[in-house]
Amino acid sequence: MSALQTFMLVVDHDKEEAKRIAEGIAHDVETKKTTLIDTVQSLGEYINDEDPILRGKAISYLTAIIQALSPKYLSRQQIQVLTTFFCDRIEDGGAVDGLQALQGLDRFNKFLATQVAQALFSNFQDLQSRSQTQRFHVYQLLNDLMSNHRGAMRDMGDISLLGVVDIMTGEKDPRNLMIVFSILKVVMVEWDISNHVETLFDSVYSYFPITFRPPPNDPYGITAQDLKGRLQECISSTRHFAPHAIPALLDKLDSTSPNVKKDALGTLIACIHSYDPDTVSKFSITIWEVLKFEILNAQEEFLSEMSLEALQAITQRLSEGVTEVSQQLPLAKYLQPITKECNEQLQEPQNKQAKPAQSILSCVSAGSPVSFNLVVQTVVPPIFTLYQEADGIVKQRALLETLNVLFEAATTVFGQWTTRGGEVTIENPLLEFKDQFSDLFGQALMGAAKEEVSFRVTALKGFLRLSTLRDFFQENEIGLFVQYLDEILLKEESVGRNDLKKEAIAALAEISKHKPRLIVDITFPAFVATLPEEDEGSHALYLPTLETLAQISVERDIFETLFRRLFSKLSILLQKEQLRSVAYPRAILTTLLYVMQQRSMEQDQSVNLYFDKVVVGLCRDVAASASGRAKNRILNDPTVLDTLGRLCNLLVRSVSIQKQEQVAENVYSLFSAAEDFVPIPFTQTTNADQERTIIISTYLLAGISKDCGNKIPHTNPDMSGLLLNLVHRAVSSTEPATHQAYLRHLALLVNKFLSKQDVTIAEKLFDSLLQSQDTESKNLNPATIRTIFWLSKALILRLAPSTTHILTSLLALLSSPVQQTSATAAQGFSIILGEDDILSATNGATIRLLCRQRLFTTVIPLISSRIREVNIAGTDDSATAPKALEHIKPAHLTALAGILSTIPTALVMPELPTLLPLLLQSLDLQTADSVAVRTATLDTLAVIIRDNGVVVIDKCGHVQSLVTRLLKTTATNIGPGAVNSPRLRADALKCLNLLATHQVPGAAANTRAPPGISPLLPVKTQVLRSLRAVLDDPKRDVRKAAVDARAAWLRGVDDAPEEEE
Amino acid sequence: MAEMQNSNPTILNAADLPTRLQPTTRKSEYVGIFTSALPLAPVDFESALSSDSEDDNLLEEPIDEQEIYDLISSISDPEHPISLGELAVVSLPDIAIKPTLPDVPDSPLQTVTVLITPTITHCSLATVIGLGVRVRLEQSLPSRFRMDVRIKEGTHSTGDEVNKQLADKERVAAALENGALMGVIAKMMETCH
Repeated sequence: MSALQTFMLVVDHDKEEAKRIAEGIAHDVETKKTTLIDTVQSLGEYINDEDPILRGKAISYLTAIIQALSPKYLSRQQIQVLTTFFCDRIEDGGAVDGLQALQGLDRFNKFLATQVAQALFSNFQDLQSRSQTQRFHVYQLLNDLMSNHRGAMRDMGDISLLGVVDIMTGEKDPRNLMIVFSILKVVMVEWDISNHVETLFDSVYSYFPITFRPPPNDPYGITAQDLKGRLQECISSTRHFAPHAIPALLDKLDSTSPNVKKDALGTLIACIHSYDPDTVSKFSITIWEVLKFEILNAQEEFLSEMSLEALQAITQRLSEGVTEVSQQLPLAKYLQPITKECNEQLQEPQNKQAKPAQSILSCVSAGSPVSFNLVVQTVVPPIFTLYQEADGIVKQRALLETLNVLFEAATTVFGQWTTRGGEVTIENPLLEFKDQFSDLFGQALMGAAKEEVSFRVTALKGFLRLSTLRDFFQENEIGLFVQYLDEILLKEESVGRNDLKKEAIAALAEISKHKPRLIVDITFPAFVATLPEEDEGSHALYLPTLETLAQISVERDIFETLFRRLFSKLSILLQKEQLRSVAYPRAILTTLLYVMQQRSMEQDQSVNLYFDKVVVGLCRDVAASASGRAKNRILNDPTVLDTLGRLCNLLVRSVSIQKQEQVAENVYSLFSAAEDFVPIPFTQTTNADQERTIIISTYLLAGISKDCGNKIPHTNPDMSGLLLNLVHRAVSSTEPATHQAYLRHLALLVNKFLSKQDVTIAEKLFDSLLQSQDTESKNLNPATIRTIFWLSKALILRLAPSTTHILTSLLALLSSPVQQTSATAAQGFSIILGEDDILSATNGATIRLLCRQRLFTTVIPLISSRIREVNIAGTDDSATAPKALEHIKPAHLTALAGILSTIPTALVMPELPTLLPLLLQSLDLQTADSVAVRTATLDTLAVIIRDNGVVVIDKCGHVQSLVTRLLKTTATNIGPGAVNSPRLRADALKCLNLLATHQVPGAAANTRAPPGISPLLPVKTQVLRSLRAVLDDPKRDVRKAAVDARAAWLRGVDDAPEEEE
Repeated sequence: MAEMQNSNPTILNAADLPTRLQPTTRKSEYVGIFTSALPLAPVDFESALSSDSEDDNLLEEPIDEQEIYDLISSISDPEHPISLGELAVVSLPDIAIKPTLPDVPDSPLQTVTVLITPTITHCSLATVIGLGVRVRLEQSLPSRFRMDVRIKEGTHSTGDEVNKQLADKERVAAALENGALMGVIAKMMETCH
């Protein structure tokens, strides 16, 4: 059998084999074992066969050989012969592919390209009756000719233009259309189409709008959007289409389908961007006349937004190259009817139609400096008149709002006070009205009745806009505004929700960013003058002032002033002999802390100054105060020390490593050289005042870098002595603040500074603490338990080798026969992974990524099996069940709630089947002391439902039991000893609400349930009936939650899937 | 949709609508911008002291006019995607709660009266709005409340007719069986929050 015959036998079912045969022959041809002519001649008996399939296979044989030949092999003459051969038989299968291979060769020329195109156009008149694949190959060949031999194709002129259109007319397959559209776009852009505009336009526009919806699992991955994009490029490709395209697209806006309108608007916008300005100008007013209705009677928000976009695009196109404002401009002609319409609508600016009119003005005026000028000229003067004649404040406010919209557009066009470069040559037309604006807005802000909050807020916002507008107000004019704001903040009583004051502070903060001098010169003296020398009474009048100062002092210069003023106030307070309360000095420290948190202190050049004053200076004062050498007891107060500590912590983190080393050396001595101050660890004689300095020491320790660890006193050769001493102090200290500080101090040392090889020191300490329990009573005092948990936290966060041992030991405490030990330990579990301000990532604590997962996967199975044991013991012999062990189950549930509150739900989900029964049992608790556990449980449930929907609960089969328990938690009268706090009731209602709104996982609220019967349906009646009673709850917040939950169930849980209309 | 009857009504600013002011800060507890800067001194273990104290929990907050207003003012108008509150169709002074049986002081029964002001006097949708308000109240108030939803006197050309319809239990029930009507009402209530 010849190679040809073998090829024809296998080509249908074994493409690889066929390819191999062809490659063999190609190799023979290249090595001159046979010739191309022989090969072509060998086809002889088949290529004239009556069976087209046979003919096709024979041609494919030749094609396969050509494809396998090296690209340089064929001579110009051979290509010519082959091209002619294929063109003659172009309708036979494989010929098109052969031509495609040939046209890609270097020696294929322009003449041949024309020949191939001719052959295509004349032989494929009936293309649409052929199979999709065949058509696809033809289009591909055409597309390749277009990209490789465009010159030749273009020179064919009308022949190729009409040829392409003829061939593709009637094409419906999306894959083919993707190619067809891109071929057509080339023709539209590069050919001379003047004689065939309509033909060409119709060839693509007949596909508009595209309604294609890809089949499910579409292997080709072509979306409707892909097709729409290509079609849109065609329609918008040339301005010659404008007379056809624009009226047609505007007609489509009469459609009732929002999607069609959306496509029409999208294409219209593309046309506006692509056609030349003259063409756009010709149709601009027509477009406005149509789009007006889309905006004024908005059907859908997005249609009105797109229409506005189109109007703005026209404005921008018509502004191109325009440097002078004139009424003769096409732009002016276009804007005239628009401003006229808007002016009419704004006659009654408080009415509904005024809003869209404002939007229109906003988008066309923001188009360019010229359009802004034209709009302002016609719109602003009538507004002044209307304002003067307005019969009510509501109308006046609406007018101010309209002006604000224009101010915003001005900012877009001309920039803000910070905008640099891109100088605008055209003057801001608002300058002409500058004084009028200043008077009008000043009058509205300060002259209106104090109750007219929203009116004054509008005026304030407008004034602020003008102040921040580039090259507009002078310094003194903004200064006037600042004075108004100061007056509002300092002299006026709060009205309602205090909106005006909030806005005033925000405005001052905004101004402070760019005009700090105004704030320092005008606002600061006025505000600081109102700060008292000392706390004068129970009313902390200084607080609002400090709050305002804090919010406007983020800028560097202002902060420096703030710091100086407040620090001197504080210094005076520290010298007072008698002091009523520490609230005032503490508030001053808090103010400084707040501002420092808002700024990046590391970058502040004055940070060393602040460090010296606060960290070194005030720490020394603390040491002096602890030794009883201060004039008053401000720096002995634990709350003041806590605030000061945070301030020091932040500053220590912001200074250089050298400074931090100093801090490490002074962490206990607090920079004090005085002999009567005794640093804390290892001293025998300490009083409560001295012990309290550990608060500051802890914050300092938290702030320094890990690398300074070796500078900390008492850490050579290792930390064992220091740690042991701190444990003793922690266990025996009585003052809560001091106790807390010891615990954190210990945890910091163990977590952050203890070296890897020394971790065993801490682990041994942990074991010895556990063994300190009284062997007989099994009792551990609460202080010891807290110490154990903080030590555990430090070790678990760094995933010490003994993590599992630690966790099992902690869980064992829950089963202690002593109720108090068990309950205290249960509360401790929320500490382990809980966020802490001191042992935090910010402070460089070692927090390993996997510690949460490790803790969760270790603890949950143990808790679950222990609870099961307790449950079984309870049912087995209820009579003899030891009453002493009743506390064990609540303790485990409390521990669980504590852990869950500190773990992201993503970790929780895989364990849900184990977890859900435990959560339900938590909801079964009823007593007052279980309120915290139940609240935490409801929080967890809410997150689970919100993120994953009802489905996950349904999968575990717990919908009914969950709903029943939630409903029970919403009740007010549930029997003696049982308590459902209002917060608990509201939280349970929130969960019920989430069930109804999140029936689909991850879906946003209000999405319809999927077809099929909701798993909630069986409980719907029960829920609605129970919730009716909750509507009469004594608490308003609970009633509100009940109303929302009930509405969600009424709306979201359907009896039957909605029928498609 | 049919031609709008009133395409350009006056709109109140949402910020100007009556709202319940937040109760002044409880006791001397400070709530302000510094709260974020300064979490209260850390308290572990003692967290059992739950934040809502006993006193507050026992304090009863009866249903008042503002609460009724909050329930119905967020319903949207069937013609505009704007709330009844912003359109001033419902307003706080036009809501009243009175004992249903003033002669029986112990009776828990209460009657809520809501007067509706249509945006124009010949608004044919007044009945639908009235029904919407009624349905919202029936879904949201406990069963001891009676609803009395009426068109405010002199604000509608066929006010009496509409009132008769709204007061007639049978006709209200029949209307609620009407799927298309309930669809409109459900759409109006989608914005309730």
